[in-house]
Amino acid sequence: MEAQHASRLRLHDLQLAQANRTVLEHVDGRFRDGAVTALVGANGAGKSTLIQGIMGMLRPVRGRVECAVPRERRAWLPQQLALDLTFPMSVEELVMTGSWPSHGALTGYCARHYRRGREVMARLGISHLAHRPLGELSGGQRQRALIGRTLMQEAELLLLDEPFANVDVETVDVLMTVLRDMTANGATIIVVLHDMEQLSRLADEVVVLSGGHAEWTSVESIARGQAAMAGTARLSLGIPGVRAC
Amino acid sequence: MLALLHEWLIAPFDYGFMRRAAVGGLALSLAAPPMGVFLMLRGMSLIGDAMAHAILPGVALGFLLAGFSLPIMSLGGVLSGLLVAVLAGSVSQMTGHREDSAMASFFLISLAAGVMLVSLGGSSVDLTHVLFGSILAVNTTALLLIAAISSVIVVTLAVIFRALVVECLDPLFLRGQGMHGGLVHGVFLGLVVLNLTAGFQTLGTLMAVGLMMLPATTARFWSKRLEGLISIAIVLAMIASTGGLLLSYHLSIPSGPAIILLAGIGYIASALFGRYHSLLTRLRRNAEPLGAPEPH
Repeated sequence: MEAQHASRLRLHDLQLAQANRTVLEHVDGRFRDGAVTALVGANGAGKSTLIQGIMGMLRPVRGRVECAVPRERRAWLPQQLALDLTFPMSVEELVMTGSWPSHGALTGYCARHYRRGREVMARLGISHLAHRPLGELSGGQRQRALIGRTLMQEAELLLLDEPFANVDVETVDVLMTVLRDMTANGATIIVVLHDMEQLSRLADEVVVLSGGHAEWTSVESIARGQAAMAGTARLSLGIPGVRAC
Repeated sequence: MLALLHEWLIAPFDYGFMRRAAVGGLALSLAAPPMGVFLMLRGMSLIGDAMAHAILPGVALGFLLAGFSLPIMSLGGVLSGLLVAVLAGSVSQMTGHREDSAMASFFLISLAAGVMLVSLGGSSVDLTHVLFGSILAVNTTALLLIAAISSVIVVTLAVIFRALVVECLDPLFLRGQGMHGGLVHGVFLGLVVLNLTAGFQTLGTLMAVGLMMLPATTARFWSKRLEGLISIAIVLAMIASTGGLLLSYHLSIPSGPAIILLAGIGYIASALFGRYHSLLTRLRRNAEPLGAPEPH
């Protein structure tokens, strides 16, 4: 049944290493277009490594990543800590950088871009923060601004590393709606998640990373495994017990 | 009173060398502070200092070969500065050590080599000129050189401006867009070197970096926005370089230290009384009662 879905991102016998230590090997699979695939696994299982491999920032030791999405339509939202938040940049300026792929980094913005930027900010409920420096935002507001940049970019492949960490409940709802809208338009979204409740709300498919391997599975079987293990659905997924499912 | 002001502020510029030095200083004040702002925001404030040492051997070699010829000395400076930047970059990439340790090693070597070269071929007066600058050195050729280099810097900075901003904030986004962050970084470091070589004639190799960093660090106390930081830094640099020249003229002190000390006074005053993060705002904030309206 899976084969019927189109997918522009496929992994072929992929082996990835960090500092000469193999993190993942024999990874074969495809990510469905127009769907959210959740990436779960314990710390160090290779979630970030796989994302780096897909974004082309880590050269595979073996195998290859086949990606039909053009480079400028791929977006990666690293964990928030990776950003230098002391940098004096406003929300609007950050969102506007998402328009680079369509018109280049060196030319100025025109009215059309600003209009689109305002639409994007309105959709994310951050219009009133347009001129606020990034350093003065809460975690949730910052995450909305970063998602705004990917909307501006019209991203077709979106990789998110724990997008809901340090984010308020209301923002989680807004972001989930926006992400679902993006998949409805055909975007492929891969998201690292730890929270079972968020996973079952957002994900269509799940990839479990453990022991250097990746296994494609369904949200239902993950949920069953979790429930069987702990009797609660809100348990962190980063535990070895997930491997059983 | 008016006559006194005229004698202090205007009369010195009756001399051609003062006029040339002033114009050169203003051109540098336009190019150097934006670079300083970016260096500061990237947490690389000391890299400028390291690069200033790195240009010294080239300047000294130019001096040995061609005497006090500014174009040759500048060319030598640019070459040795770029060489050190590339060497430091490749050593840190090869060994995996942090770039600052490689940079520190190379700039110490450069400083020693530069001072040795100057003392081999010249007097201690020459050494003072190279290290701390001399306004008398600014002839028309030098002025044209300074103006040309400053123009190149301003134009290049305008072209790479946005890429540079994003490279500071989120290098991964830039890489994701297929733009090599290293390229932007490299061009930027090249501009820093160019700027320092343009500055060493009036300010000296050791002081040139001051006009880059001090206005930038001072501006941080007055603005929270990038445009604000850059414009304030430029205005401060212009005041410091013109004022410093006048001090240098009246007190017969080297122009480099005079300009930088003036900028330094601005920094200390701003740290005490500036609008953001200064001692004054800290004291004020503590004195406010709960629920007091925000000061405007």
